[in-house]
Amino acid sequence: MQLTLWTYEGPPHVGAMRIATSMRDVHYVLHAPQGDTYADLLFTMIERQDARPPVTYTTFQARDLGGDTANLVTTAVRDAFERFKPKALLVGESCTAELIQDQPGSLAQGMGIPVPVVPLELPAYSKKENWGAAETLYHLVKALLADRVPKPGTPRPARPEGRRPRANLLGPTVLGFRCRDDVREVTQLLGQLGIDVHVVAPLGASPDDVVRIPEADFNVDLYPEVSRTTAGWLQRAFGMPYTKTIPMGTGATRDFIAEVAQLAGVDAAPVLGRERPGVAGLASSQSRAPWYQRSVDSTYLTGKRVFIFADATHAIAAARIAAQEMGFTVVGLGTYSREFAREVREAARQYGVEALITDDYLEVEAAIAAATPELVLGTQMERHIAKRLGVACAVISVPIHVQDVPARYSPVYGFEGANVLFDTWVHPLVMGLEEHLLQMFREDFEFHDGAVPSHLAAVAPSAPAAGGAVSAPAGEAEGVRTLASVPQLQVTVAMPAVTDPAAAAAPAASAGPVPPVWTPEGEQELRKIPFFVRGKAKRNTEAYAAQHGIARIGVDTLYDAKAHFGR
Amino acid sequence: MTMKLPIVDADRVGDGDGSLQVHLDPSQKIEGALVIAVYGKGGIGKSTTSSNLSAAFSRLGKRVLQIGCDPKHDSTFTLTKQMVPTVIDILETVDFHAEELKVEDFVFPGYNGVQCVEAGGPPAGTGCGGYVVGQTVKLLKEHHLLEETDVVIFDVLGDVVCGGFAAPLQHAHYCLIVTANDFDSIFAMNRIVAAILAKSKNYKVRVGGVVANRSKDLDQVTKFNDAAGLKVLAHLPDNDAIRRSRLKKCTMFEMEPTPDVVAIQDEYLKLAQAMIDGVTPLPAKPLKDREIFDLLGFD
Repeated sequence: MQLTLWTYEGPPHVGAMRIATSMRDVHYVLHAPQGDTYADLLFTMIERQDARPPVTYTTFQARDLGGDTANLVTTAVRDAFERFKPKALLVGESCTAELIQDQPGSLAQGMGIPVPVVPLELPAYSKKENWGAAETLYHLVKALLADRVPKPGTPRPARPEGRRPRANLLGPTVLGFRCRDDVREVTQLLGQLGIDVHVVAPLGASPDDVVRIPEADFNVDLYPEVSRTTAGWLQRAFGMPYTKTIPMGTGATRDFIAEVAQLAGVDAAPVLGRERPGVAGLASSQSRAPWYQRSVDSTYLTGKRVFIFADATHAIAAARIAAQEMGFTVVGLGTYSREFAREVREAARQYGVEALITDDYLEVEAAIAAATPELVLGTQMERHIAKRLGVACAVISVPIHVQDVPARYSPVYGFEGANVLFDTWVHPLVMGLEEHLLQMFREDFEFHDGAVPSHLAAVAPSAPAAGGAVSAPAGEAEGVRTLASVPQLQVTVAMPAVTDPAAAAAPAASAGPVPPVWTPEGEQELRKIPFFVRGKAKRNTEAYAAQHGIARIGVDTLYDAKAHFGR
Repeated sequence: MTMKLPIVDADRVGDGDGSLQVHLDPSQKIEGALVIAVYGKGGIGKSTTSSNLSAAFSRLGKRVLQIGCDPKHDSTFTLTKQMVPTVIDILETVDFHAEELKVEDFVFPGYNGVQCVEAGGPPAGTGCGGYVVGQTVKLLKEHHLLEETDVVIFDVLGDVVCGGFAAPLQHAHYCLIVTANDFDSIFAMNRIVAAILAKSKNYKVRVGGVVANRSKDLDQVTKFNDAAGLKVLAHLPDNDAIRRSRLKKCTMFEMEPTPDVVAIQDEYLKLAQAMIDGVTPLPAKPLKDREIFDLLGFD
């Protein structure tokens, strides 16, 4: 455990709250001090829920600790049951209450409450929110289905003749990423194949719905961080298969259609037949994204450096879209979901980068700064980081801000989701920087190195960052920033050009081979290169110099490198 | 790390000799499954007994999990036919981020579907074996493995009396003590009984009975059992087939079914069936060291 100012995930009892709040007729009694009731605001403010979460807090105070806190639990459980009349009761404790060891779950189980009471043991000091949500859903589903599990080895009955195939959608929750709209999109997609959605859980489900889960033919594991544990158990206990593809992006949506068609035993051809992978044109897909990605106006997207950090599900899917559909270069891929670290590492290997698995946002910030991306796809925290670094950003995953819960229909799954992603990723990028326009307007008075993209004006550095003792010439701020991408890095990157190379090289000596330094002439020549490609030219030249053992980069090296890479 | 305070139950102020027993973290409690811990002097045949007992349970249609708690991690190799990596080895590969692990990383299928885990442990003379057993149980619980298991067998290390020795006692319903018909292993058994008795003040663990291993006669064992209130649940002769089964890396159930071998198989099956049917906990009472000498020492 590590002290931090901000975390990607809350404690596991917040995950349990997400499950309870997503459902109907479920109530959660949380043994927690008054202060822990702050979590209500996540639901009413960020998700804009119109009611408080169905959570009763025991709200013990300091003076209760000398007395009988266990009594507080039984009173709270009884009151909550009588007032809310839930069909299932979750009972657990927050991080603070875990320390006083009242075992509220066991207490409540012994009270003779006439509905299923599910005790939750969520170790707050070693586990996090998504795990807590997954564990809560698993225990709730398991408790509600306990007496319906067939004897091990019982073959699954075949679908009755004439009944349409059925699927459950597992995993959507409140405070997830666009779950509400994804459910609608995926339901529509399955409808095209003649597959009915039987139960959606936990979002909008009551305990009565959960009991109907085994009546479907298979499960769609829509958000594995929340639903994989449950989907796995339903497969072991009821022989229900579950999907492995996340339908995010055009390609993955097509793969998803093939997978569900196979699981449901229906023909995918009527739907997939209309999809023509690799063909340019509006008619090549139900989604407009494939054509938009290929249209001539999108040429500037090609090779854009993109850094992705999100929950594992959205990170892996976004990397595939970025690399295979948008034509971006993935320069960083990571997640805070340790449970799925393996899958993210696997994906990162495909794009030739090393996965960043961490829940420390400062580490993420450093990695983004070092990768000098042109676009960051991430969470609310990456939005802050990108803003600080002056890089474009789109949010693709929780944790989110209120603006990521839009009023309009805005899924990220399915064909419409692909459209939404195209728009939201492209808009933050500076449009209109096509080469021919740059040539035309090169000498324009409004178009110079110092000009900032209008949508990033707020973060345009008017002077070098406080820590940067570098005397960047006025009007060069934007140029230097593009070079280094981050004000903090001006010191290390720009210094060799203006100070004694030997002195500048000294601090870097401990970090392996000494990087090549730029001579003033080389630096001068570099500035002649238009700023939007200067970063790339600088990186290429430095790589070329390092490869050829050149310690000082002059004008010649710059052109040698250009010739080398231009071949 | 989860911090837990000890619960002190007023009715149970009997931790003995002024010591305060730290109670088991309830998140580590194993529910549902029948949990058996196999104890005995070093080299007496605990791993052989555990593996064959696991195999016997599986032959009776039970879902079995065997947890080897010895740092030398050879408990399950007759089941898996290999030296499987230990939980600690595997935790090291993920820098102790247990969340990254999947069940198949540390649970290996063995003979007749017996699930095998080697807890592993620190190098001899360092660290804490009890910590390793605790971590292993936590991991198995977190992956819901114990909820889908009927019988859990802990094969405990015999060489030392330490945390690694005591930790399985906190999870077990019954202890089986493996002994031979000789003074040394009976002497060790006596000390194990004392340890179980101390633990049973706070935990559900009870002495299940004695497995007389590698012995033709039972006279010495019987003499001790009568004095200490123990009972022989199974008697395995000193048969070369058992030794050969280990060399062949297999359980007794995979050996050529000669009459000898079948008799041994039946003995393990009988023991397994008895444990399923329910063993009456024995009111065991350890003898003082001097008493054992007087009882068995010099005849």
